[in-house]
Amino acid sequence: MPATEYQGSFLSRISIRRNQVVSMDGNHEQELEELEIFQKNISERFSDLISDDSSSSSNSASSSEPFLSIAWVRKLLDVFLCCEAEFKAVLIMGRDPSLISKPPLDRLIPELFDRAVKALDICNAVMHGIDSVRQCQKLAEIAAASLEQRPLGEGQARRAKKALAGLLSAMGIDETSGGHKSAERSWSFGRRGGGGGGVSVTKDRGSGQSRASTWGVPKNWSAAKQIQVMSANLVAPRGAEASGLAMPVYIMSIVTVFVMWALIAAIPCQERTGLATHFQVPRQLGWAQSMVWLHEKIGEELKKKEKKGASPVGLLEEIQKMEKLGQSLLEFSDGFQYPVPEEKLDEAAAQVADLTETCRRMEDGLVPLQHQIREVFHRIVRSRTEVLDVLDHAGKSSAPSV
Amino acid sequence: MEDGESTATDHEVQNHLAAAAKHIMMALKACRNLTDDTKKVLSDLNSCLPNKLILGECGGWLLIDSEEQIKHYGEVIMRWETELGMIWDHGDTEASSYLNAVTEIQKIVKTIGSHPMLLSNGKQKELSLRAHHILQRAMSKLKQELMHILIQHKQCFAPEYMSFRSHVEDAVYDESFISVEEDVIESLSSGDDSGSSSDKCLVNLIHPKAISSIKSIASVMFASEDDKEFCRSFVNIRKDALEEYLAILRMEQLTMEDTLKMDQNALSCEGKKWVWALRIIIRVYLRSERCFCDQILGEFGRVSPNRIFIEIAGSAMWQFINFGEAIAMGTPQPERLFLVLDMYEVLADLMLDIDSLFNEETGSRIGIEFHELLSRLADYAKGSFSEFRNCVVSDRPRKPFSSGIHRFTNYTMNYLKTLITYRETLNFLLHDLGADGLDCSPEPENGEEISSYVSCPLAQHARLLASLLQENLENRSKFLKGEPMQHIFLMNNINYMVQKIKDSELRQYFGDEWIRRLIGNLHRHANDYIRTTWSSALLLLKDHVELDVSPFHRPSHRSRCNKFIAAFEEIYKSQTGWVVPDSQLREDLHISTSQKVIQAYRGFIGRNFAQIGDQYIRYNGDELENLVLDFFEGSTRSLGSSRRR
Repeated sequence: MPATEYQGSFLSRISIRRNQVVSMDGNHEQELEELEIFQKNISERFSDLISDDSSSSSNSASSSEPFLSIAWVRKLLDVFLCCEAEFKAVLIMGRDPSLISKPPLDRLIPELFDRAVKALDICNAVMHGIDSVRQCQKLAEIAAASLEQRPLGEGQARRAKKALAGLLSAMGIDETSGGHKSAERSWSFGRRGGGGGGVSVTKDRGSGQSRASTWGVPKNWSAAKQIQVMSANLVAPRGAEASGLAMPVYIMSIVTVFVMWALIAAIPCQERTGLATHFQVPRQLGWAQSMVWLHEKIGEELKKKEKKGASPVGLLEEIQKMEKLGQSLLEFSDGFQYPVPEEKLDEAAAQVADLTETCRRMEDGLVPLQHQIREVFHRIVRSRTEVLDVLDHAGKSSAPSV
Repeated sequence: MEDGESTATDHEVQNHLAAAAKHIMMALKACRNLTDDTKKVLSDLNSCLPNKLILGECGGWLLIDSEEQIKHYGEVIMRWETELGMIWDHGDTEASSYLNAVTEIQKIVKTIGSHPMLLSNGKQKELSLRAHHILQRAMSKLKQELMHILIQHKQCFAPEYMSFRSHVEDAVYDESFISVEEDVIESLSSGDDSGSSSDKCLVNLIHPKAISSIKSIASVMFASEDDKEFCRSFVNIRKDALEEYLAILRMEQLTMEDTLKMDQNALSCEGKKWVWALRIIIRVYLRSERCFCDQILGEFGRVSPNRIFIEIAGSAMWQFINFGEAIAMGTPQPERLFLVLDMYEVLADLMLDIDSLFNEETGSRIGIEFHELLSRLADYAKGSFSEFRNCVVSDRPRKPFSSGIHRFTNYTMNYLKTLITYRETLNFLLHDLGADGLDCSPEPENGEEISSYVSCPLAQHARLLASLLQENLENRSKFLKGEPMQHIFLMNNINYMVQKIKDSELRQYFGDEWIRRLIGNLHRHANDYIRTTWSSALLLLKDHVELDVSPFHRPSHRSRCNKFIAAFEEIYKSQTGWVVPDSQLREDLHISTSQKVIQAYRGFIGRNFAQIGDQYIRYNGDELENLVLDFFEGSTRSLGSSRRR
């Protein structure tokens, strides 16, 4: 996992930093320098996410991860984990613990925790979102497998058509309250809490999609709303505060909100309406330039999708590709009539190969991505506990207890 | 045997034909290009063939029967396309004839598939496509049948597993400071044990008679490489069933944020549900689910029942894990200790089941996450325990209090009693928790048998807590006015501690020696009470006092008697209002007051009866002794001034 590859580098940086801190304790200039290094690292890490390739906005083959692909999102999470580790080093290591229990941090830290807890819920929702992507992947695999058969007859085409219709409707119904016509009749029982006696036929589940798909968060939870709340009280520190610890807290908050925002944009998630406008990266700050660029880029994509009227599926490159290929192959199977002209068959075969390849990338990437999101989850929990411990000690150091 | 030469010769001929055909086929395979002549010979052969056989252009044979077969079996299958209703609802014969038809078509498809060269024949190709088409319809139908069967034969849990739900709703921990009721906690802990007796069983989540139907559908769908479709439907339906079951258990989907912000009562309630539901879900439901998956999918190597099981159970498990994580993230609080211990115990108890259900081969992190959660809950429990200790050390009175049993003593002792019910778990958890200050708990004296109870970590911590409570009470008593009242307060509370310890399991953990010391303390305070209350009054009754005072200032016996009675009335007025709830203690105090004070008074009166004069003796010894009985009854009285003089 890339996460572990990074591990070495940032750990060594931390130990260097710690030596610096210890040797020059209490030196304000040293603090400023540290802050500068922190900002520089943030800036560099995020600029790594912009490949030359995507900045020229072409999608040709490149050694680096395609923008918004699974691999790219995993890199984004690595960046988050690195920034987070470094942030904690800046905040805690070698510091006088009482510093973080005094103004302005006594206010900023609880706010940071608030955002952290919301980020945890986002992680859970996104974990679930990946589950629903895997559902789609399975449907795509079924479709691809039937369209790969030769000779290709109506039977296979029909089967593919069903799977693809299910796939597209699953992509649509996952985030709206329904309303999309499902392509297939499916069976279900009475709604939740009914005790489960009665059997009834309902049409509200796209191609046997599990009702359990709203799991991970309660039904009224909104991902977009979380982002809105997380960024609502984000104010850049001014004056003297700007050179103190308030700054890294602010930076880390921006990083957290940005990464969570990007995750929600990329991966299907409950209720994302208005996501494009709910969060802005401050433009005037040097360290945030790459983030500003990425934010714009993702925001454009979101708006493009929203304009199309359809509620946006995740922007994840693989999902987009699956959607596009799915639509095209659905058309193909829908109008399927034996015999099919050779060139049309070849065209479809190429798309099927593409779809199979996309499924393979999902198969390889989604589970590690889930694991990594869980890693982010645990990291956030751990850091919160560590900072709380420091606060606790700071509180108790004045009044020692048994 | 006898039925004929004809059969025998027919056989012979067929054998010859088969052998010849094999030669021809082998030759055809070996040779790349056919000359026109050869083609002609073969095509002649083709026309010579009886209608039973058709020779493909490239050579290869297919029974022409297949066309009829496809037609026949196709009808069986397609009939259900127009018919409403479910095949399996129409009985086993219908179902097996349908399955048979599907299997036959599959055979044909397979035969055609294994001879790709046949497909270049237009007729064969068409047959093949038709067979595929029919098969596709059949698969689609079977998927619906599968879902129908899974839903229709789904079984709910036997109610016995549900029976201990009532505990959840009634039983909410209430060991907060506000609670003075003593037995709230004890009544709760019994709820946990009732679950463990019958819960190791497996249940049928699907009616057993449906198993074979599901398996037969699985086997034909798998034969058509439709395993993905099968599994998808299977997983979705079973996942819904699990979700529905969780709804019956009233498990709610909560965000981390909600959980962290929950108040104590709501949290206790959710936590109790968690404990209760997790046990049923893991031990009964999921183990049964796992068996069901194995039963259905175990025979097909292509799909791992493990993986299917994880897909069904995964999101429900995350729900449990995340609630636990949210609890463990909270600030450790004494009020949450028992809830977290319940959670810890149930999880620790289920760990073997969890390990076998979610082993690492499945590539799922759920097992690992549960292990991590267990250790986080352990940390949280330790943290909460330390918080409790801090609280015992540092709790200060926030409002005025009386000399009676303080709520804090009540709370702490009930807390200690509840701790004992978690003996094994706490001994394990507290084992490495620093018990600084433990030296203050006495080693049992030589000769006394040291029981394992007395020496276990929990016992050491309990004694430390009791000592800390005593210190706290000593400090607290300083807030009361006057030494006598302070001593009464301490006696009341120490006596309460002694009773709590003696009357409960705590006794074994404290040991007799420790209890004797506590009682010794009680006696010390009793003596101090008498001394600080009566010493100045008793001084008046002492004859030798006269020696120290010059004869001119020597008060008369009469005046000393009056002064003593005045002092007695004063004390009477205040101390009848004090409370000593324990009747034994109250009686003891009355007795020792009588012994020390009334005896002295009697002696004084007896010795100086003449000097005082009968009419000046307002109370004789018996009267005063009766008045002493009014002490500590909690209702302030005064001796009417009318009786004076």
